Amino acid sequence: MTDHRSPASASSLTSPDRRQFVGLAGLAVAGALASAPSRVSAQAPTDSDILNFALNLEYLEAEYYLRAAFGRGLDGADITGTGMLGPVMGGTTVPFATAAIRQYANEIANDEEAHVKFIRAAITSLGGQPVARPTIDLEASFAAAAQAAGLGAGFNPYLNERNFLLGAFIFEDVGVTAYKGAARLLQSKIVLAAAAGLLGTEAYHAGTIRTVLFSQGLISQAKKISDLRDSVDGATDLDQGIVLGGAANIVPTDANGLAFSRDTNQVLSIVYLGGTTSGGFFPDGLNGTIR
Amino acid sequence: MTEHPSSATVPSNASRRHFVGLAGLTAAAVFGTNRLTGSAQPAVNDFDILNFALNLEYLEAEYYLRAAFGRGLAAADVTGTGTLGQVTGGTRVPFASSAIQQYAYEIAKDEENHVKFLRAAITARGGAPVARPTINLQESFAAAAAAAGLPSGFNPYADEKSFLLGAFIFEDVGVTGYKGAAPLLVNKDILEAAAGLLAVESYHASEIRTVLFARGLTSETQAISDLRDLVDGPDANGLDADLDQGLVLNGNANIVPTDANGLVFSRTTRQVLNIVYLGGTTAGGFFPDGLNGTIR
Repeated sequence: MTDHRSPASASSLTSPDRRQFVGLAGLAVAGALASAPSRVSAQAPTDSDILNFALNLEYLEAEYYLRAAFGRGLDGADITGTGMLGPVMGGTTVPFATAAIRQYANEIANDEEAHVKFIRAAITSLGGQPVARPTIDLEASFAAAAQAAGLGAGFNPYLNERNFLLGAFIFEDVGVTAYKGAARLLQSKIVLAAAAGLLGTEAYHAGTIRTVLFSQGLISQAKKISDLRDSVDGATDLDQGIVLGGAANIVPTDANGLAFSRDTNQVLSIVYLGGTTSGGFFPDGLNGTIR
Repeated sequence: MTEHPSSATVPSNASRRHFVGLAGLTAAAVFGTNRLTGSAQPAVNDFDILNFALNLEYLEAEYYLRAAFGRGLAAADVTGTGTLGQVTGGTRVPFASSAIQQYAYEIAKDEENHVKFLRAAITARGGAPVARPTINLQESFAAAAAAAGLPSGFNPYADEKSFLLGAFIFEDVGVTGYKGAAPLLVNKDILEAAAGLLAVESYHASEIRTVLFARGLTSETQAISDLRDLVDGPDANGLDADLDQGLVLNGNANIVPTDANGLVFSRTTRQVLNIVYLGGTTAGGFFPDGLNGTIR
């Protein structure tokens, strides 16, 4: 893995009250941030660029959940495209202990696979070309992330149900903040409506995982992972654990009760686990123009 | 309330995840164009949409605040244009489990913040927030439950289970309403804020659905979902589409109501009105005097 930060820096970012008042001033700031130049180009990304960025992330989620639920990955027909097609490292069927959680995994896996197919088709219908699935690491990445979060060495999200839930939590919420951040950049109203549908589904998924983690009492572990995401995504505080102020915090929100936004650079920093151009879940980087 | 249909005509749900695909995307595109050029119906502006959302957030805030804290919105948060109405019903729920009580607290605060935020967002841009309309949290729920085929006299404040079922009656509706409104919004800051509201409503809906599933309340929620489907009327394409789903589909948990592409559904403002009016045309159900604002 490349230069992910130490757990010490993660814990130093712990704030007593993460729901700072943002208000309309924050709305304006968020607007300015989202329109800042990306790390590769000062040009505004096209809708196809943004959809391809989302496709990379959906590849990751689909591969994670499909393997956990069914012990298989995406079909060969669903991963081809521009850029370098990469393999997937790690990922086996999780020995679920409870029927409900197995069913949640089945459902989320099917949703994420549908997202991959849908985004590929949407890009093609816009006259663009879907990117190929990049190399995805579901093994060393999780171990490194867990180590950096202070969860100990050798973490394997496929080992058991509990680890599966914690593994899911590592990148749930991130998709939500990414789709929210991208909403204002999309030109086509059709694509926007679809992206709103993807945002909604990812937020349901995140809500399910967070609710189950809370009911299983995995509060300190979730907090450590949340702090890690906050630590690698830059100076802003855009993440929350599942307890806040001594009470359940299933929904990560600002003081206005809105979900957070992340720009593409912040999302990349999380999935690269602090790497600049690659690392973490994407050891060869993303495919596409936003990377 | 007004003309809610009987449970006998509730539609079946053989396969609710019909394939929408790119054909659906194109149809949405065609409609979206009509909508934006005003050829299908009068154009609405961002204030109209935010005020429409504010009416619904008033409803959600009043529902959850009363359940969690035994109080409603502060007087300063309910004034505005249109007729200020009273809230009927709603008392603190005798929660049996700490987790559910905490969920209720959190959702109540989120919804109260949504009300404050929408009012401030409208005001900051030179608009006028609507007043809270009359809200009924008593006969509305009893009528909805009876129409869904649940036992008569349903009171969502009676106990924890009833609270969860009551929440389910309008959760998911906010999600589909915000999704349907997203392409209509012009201002990018408002769009991003609306995306934040959509996400939070989705988290709430998921949380409620996950707890209901864990408690095995699948037949009750299916009946409520079928009722929503029955009263919501034609979608943006003029089809009486099946936009709602219970907690189980094809023998597996179905926490997320989605189409075949894995996307949450959209509802038009009319479809949302049909649900919150429980089938009424201009008023009824949770809003016995109708909404305030231009979209009503």
